[in-house]
Amino acid sequence: MDASQLRSEIEKKLPSAFTAYTRTFRGSIPTGIAAIDSVVEGVPLHALTEICGSSLASSGKTSVLAALLAQATRERFCALVDASDSFDPESGYAAGINFSRVLWVRCGKSQAKLRPLEQAFKVTDILLQSGGFGVIAVDLSGMGERIVRKVPLSTWFRFSRVIEKQPAALVFLEQEPHATSCAGLVLRVQSEPTALSGKLFTGFDLKVEVVRHSAAKKPVRSARSGFTLKTQWA
Amino acid sequence: MFACLYAPDFAVQAALLTEPPDLREGLRRSPMVVLEGPENLPRVAALNDAARKCGMEAGMTKLQVETCGGVLLRKRSEAEEDAAQAELVECATFFSPRVESTGAGTVLLDLDGTERLFGTPENTARKISVAARERGFDLRVAVASNPDTALYAARGFPGITVILAGQEARRLAWLNVELLPIGTEMLDTLHCWGIRTFQALAALPEVPLTERLGQAGLYLQKLARGAVHRTLVPIAVVQQFVESYEFDDPVETLESLSFVLNRLLQQICSRLMAQALSTNELRLTMDLAVTQRRVSNSGEQFQHDWKLPVPTQDGRMLFALVWLELERNIFSAPIKKVTLEALAVKPRTAQGNLFAPPSPDAEKLEMTLARIRGVVGGADAEGVSCVGSPGVVDTHKTASFEVRPFSSVREGLSKDGLGKDAAEKDRANLVPALLPTIALRVFRPPLETAVELNGQTPHIVCLWKKPGRVIAASGPWCSSGHWWNRAVTWVREEWDVALKTPAGIGFYRIYLDRVQKQWFVEGMFD
Repeated sequence: MDASQLRSEIEKKLPSAFTAYTRTFRGSIPTGIAAIDSVVEGVPLHALTEICGSSLASSGKTSVLAALLAQATRERFCALVDASDSFDPESGYAAGINFSRVLWVRCGKSQAKLRPLEQAFKVTDILLQSGGFGVIAVDLSGMGERIVRKVPLSTWFRFSRVIEKQPAALVFLEQEPHATSCAGLVLRVQSEPTALSGKLFTGFDLKVEVVRHSAAKKPVRSARSGFTLKTQWA
Repeated sequence: MFACLYAPDFAVQAALLTEPPDLREGLRRSPMVVLEGPENLPRVAALNDAARKCGMEAGMTKLQVETCGGVLLRKRSEAEEDAAQAELVECATFFSPRVESTGAGTVLLDLDGTERLFGTPENTARKISVAARERGFDLRVAVASNPDTALYAARGFPGITVILAGQEARRLAWLNVELLPIGTEMLDTLHCWGIRTFQALAALPEVPLTERLGQAGLYLQKLARGAVHRTLVPIAVVQQFVESYEFDDPVETLESLSFVLNRLLQQICSRLMAQALSTNELRLTMDLAVTQRRVSNSGEQFQHDWKLPVPTQDGRMLFALVWLELERNIFSAPIKKVTLEALAVKPRTAQGNLFAPPSPDAEKLEMTLARIRGVVGGADAEGVSCVGSPGVVDTHKTASFEVRPFSSVREGLSKDGLGKDAAEKDRANLVPALLPTIALRVFRPPLETAVELNGQTPHIVCLWKKPGRVIAASGPWCSSGHWWNRAVTWVREEWDVALKTPAGIGFYRIYLDRVQKQWFVEGMFD
């Protein structure tokens, strides 16, 4: 029996045995920041997205998430799993988030047995099983980098496979990307050196780098884009 | 025509209803007695036929009963009997809207006008018997032209009895006069006269009987002849869905509780379904067997309410909700009584809005939220909920927020005029931002810090015990509030500072709490 016969025999029993697995990205949710939307057309649905930035320096990752939630809550219900309970409702209000469509889960605030990171992952699992949310955002950027790094790759893989079947975007806010090839989009945000002048703090310039974008035909190496964020009072 | 549903040995049948349906038939054939009275000397209050065959009778002590061996003992429970009576009445309401709860285990119903629905009286009686058996009752059913004839026929004859108009006196003839509502003195008198059956009483001449026994005697004679035509006193249907169960011995483990809770919920849901109703509010009350009485009574009862966004009849979903809540709690004492109460409302009559955004399934959402609460907890140390929709508070104090209950049907309700306030509040919270703004990452609680000042301006700020040089500072922005209450007054001096960190420039908000005279880092602009 030659290879082709063997192959056909196997395919009779397992039709997709030799079919290469391809991820499909259908649709996206704009972030509301033109500089990002022009490069990646927003955050992809059916995929896992990582938005990364420093936890010590102002990187703008939280502002990007707030802008995304503001856009998403116009049409969808969203969930924000806040591992370090650092979401500021006033900032969300200023960003234009429709709070009635946001489920905010504050982890690590009660005498629960699990640690905040474990709580966040468990809650994400529950929300994914429940369905119905257009964006599930998980803010892990307040967690220590060493702790998040210990999350096994199988966890990210599981998340990416589950979200593929749902018309939703799973967004992780982290200091560094961890999901590797499981992520559909990886954005790194950081602030530009800004010349501070005057007495009033009015904003800072940011640049976003697309580290990984699976939907792009060519692998993105370093698509960068700059933008400016203003404070509420500017 | 009138029908009477009579459950013989009602206390025993009520106790049997608390058993699993698959075990009931077996238990029905076993000797079983229901005891009542003081703990040290309980006596038999009711027993079944199998127990009678074993030589037991009412009034025997527990010790005497136990000597017979192989007998099931149950403690009499008024709550169980009330629940059984309610179940019996509900069973009757399926066949007629005019139902009289005549006594424990006895229900009368008016069958006039139901012939086209249920057929002949025999068929109706058979259907009633089958429906009652499905609910766990072993009934005697009698149909007659007047309520009292049906009542005594049901009490006197086993199985199904149908007495046509004009045959009452003949059919009731051989029943014992003890079935009549008769006093002991009058019964003794009748026995002295040799009157032991309905027929004998009915045959007495009316005038001499009235002279000797008065109007009461004449009324008894009419009952014996089946000639009393009274008006039925129908019960008012009370929309109350309460089920309770009292344990013989307090239960210490949740596993033992699960079966009872599930059964109570299923009963409530089946009653709701029978009346085409749903519930959106459930209350669980558990009485704890506290051995040492405390100063306050708070530890003697556990109570929890669930308010559902949409009405439901799903017993399994309600059980999952209750179970998730119980798993989160640790009880100070064993549980001796469980009561579940559901508030009945009309079910959802319309499907969701086709043009509404995709949303979590409203009926499953509450369970999802309960599961999340099971993971992260219900509320933080300050009592603010850990799961819900964020909201801003109308105050000048920064970092103030609230967490409201999350619901995916709120917008749909507002269109009908319901929940208008919530919808308006939401719209007030929705401010379309033209440009993305910088968000603040808040540290909860704020980080205590040390600040070195250069004149009036912060110069060095410690972040996680590492000093950071201030590149630029914006402030001070002074604010205060609640000055009229010393316990909660706040006075603060805010600064927005740009700090040089190893990762780059970090924009932080720091403030000096003038009450505590301490610097804090409130958050980072990110």
